[in-house]
Amino acid sequence: MVEYGGCSAKISPKQLEEILKYLPLPIDPNILVDIDTHDDAGVYRVNDNLALVLTTDFFPPVCSDPYEFGQIAAANSISDVYAMGGDPVLALNIMMFPAAKLPMEAYAEIMKGGYDKASEAGVRIIGGHTIDDFPPKYGLAVVGYVNPAKIITNSGAHPGDNLILTKPLGTGIIMAAQRLKMVSEADILEAKRLMKLLNKSGAEVMKKHDIKGATDITGFGLAGHALKMAMASKVSVTLNMGKVPLIGSTYHLIDDGCIPGASFRNLEFVDEHLLSSPGLDYNLKMIAFDAQTSGGLLMSAPADKTEAVLADLHKAGLESASIIGTVIKRDGKYLHLSS
Amino acid sequence: MRVVDTKGQLCPAPLIATRKALKESAVGESFIVLTDNQTSLNNVTRFLKDNNTAFQMSEKGGVWSLTITKSAGEMVHPEAEDYCDNGINHFEKGNYIIAITSDKMGEGDDHLGHLLMANFIKAIKDLDRLPAKMVFYNKGVTLAAKDSPVIADLKDLEKMGVELLLCATCINYYALESGVGTGILSNMYVIAEAMASAGNIVRP
Repeated sequence: MVEYGGCSAKISPKQLEEILKYLPLPIDPNILVDIDTHDDAGVYRVNDNLALVLTTDFFPPVCSDPYEFGQIAAANSISDVYAMGGDPVLALNIMMFPAAKLPMEAYAEIMKGGYDKASEAGVRIIGGHTIDDFPPKYGLAVVGYVNPAKIITNSGAHPGDNLILTKPLGTGIIMAAQRLKMVSEADILEAKRLMKLLNKSGAEVMKKHDIKGATDITGFGLAGHALKMAMASKVSVTLNMGKVPLIGSTYHLIDDGCIPGASFRNLEFVDEHLLSSPGLDYNLKMIAFDAQTSGGLLMSAPADKTEAVLADLHKAGLESASIIGTVIKRDGKYLHLSS
Repeated sequence: MRVVDTKGQLCPAPLIATRKALKESAVGESFIVLTDNQTSLNNVTRFLKDNNTAFQMSEKGGVWSLTITKSAGEMVHPEAEDYCDNGINHFEKGNYIIAITSDKMGEGDDHLGHLLMANFIKAIKDLDRLPAKMVFYNKGVTLAAKDSPVIADLKDLEKMGVELLLCATCINYYALESGVGTGILSNMYVIAEAMASAGNIVRP
């Protein structure tokens, strides 16, 4: 199977914003979260104790093993429910598969990867839809439950909060470098392990500490998702790029010019809202724009909870979880990048 | 002039080839990059602009030719070594913390004790697994003063991702004249929490 790039296959966030501007938003008091705040999923209130979290995501292969691709695509789709503070419950498969071009075993393996990952998350896949198309694409449409009072959104970041990232960055760069055979097997394995890793444990820590603001880092990169959070929360966000944990040789790959095209699309989108500190290392800057596939959670933790949240994340096995930035009062540009 | 032909190559291969040629060129030297891909062209030119690298562009039959001249101050790497070697969290950390409770190591001659403590702190950097945190209390906080003999080593440790927690009461008590040079001012609750949740505590 050939690889095409996971979440970097998203359309440009700038184009998307242009299109969404012309889509009228439905008006309904039960819609608690919609695309207005660029959140990870929509949330619809059923009653005072229950709201549904709805989300979908699918993309072309990020790796050559169909089973692993299925796992990664499912982990990525389910992640949006975790980012909203919800418990994923049900899902439908979305599959595009070139039946004449690829062996049906690959189809079965992708589905099996998806099923296994969904089971790990406690999600039941109860149906789906396949059309014939090349290259293959796979993902899930997921429904989760959330208590309406406990929704975690992009708009929940407050000045004084610390930003914690739960997974290291670099999946976009590592996977691009893999196609060009520039990267070690160990780094590829680590990137795949991280992409397959559910954001479940991170989400449990968020819920335990009653975190209000979070998002997951996917195709728009750390900077793109942090910007969406800053805008929705009407604050500015400072990212300390030197503190961002990275997968293996990510820094050196960027220094060698391995900057995937998606990074430049993301830079375009963020540029007008971006203030880079004068001495910021160019490579560290570009890491902020790397499109992640099934990336970690970015949570906005009040200062007095930060230590405890971080300790719990580490205890939950997310050893790389780090404080990578702070939320400040709206100050000029939405996004500040420094070393 | 050297020609880097990236025709038929997709992102980020043309940028990688450009970056490689830049690294291999001397200041003032020029080379040509060829590409037939609009996206790659946009990305390479954006990269060059961001790094203040001069170039000229021409197009013929769907192939763009960039003549690039390496300039002196091209990449922003203010403290490149910091970023490559220390600045990024690649260091393996253990589930233990180090408690620095004095400015000396061990009982005995004061001068020797200071020397040993300085050597100990230097040695932490070479451990296979770094401590998750270091806590400083009582006379230990004086090691985090701006004019402390080990301040450079502590700053390195912090860059390597080790959190340095300083007892604020102790800093006030010893009225550190030169001020605090590194670390996070912290209270006894945070220090107690860190110690209670550590797998083990190392006290030199």
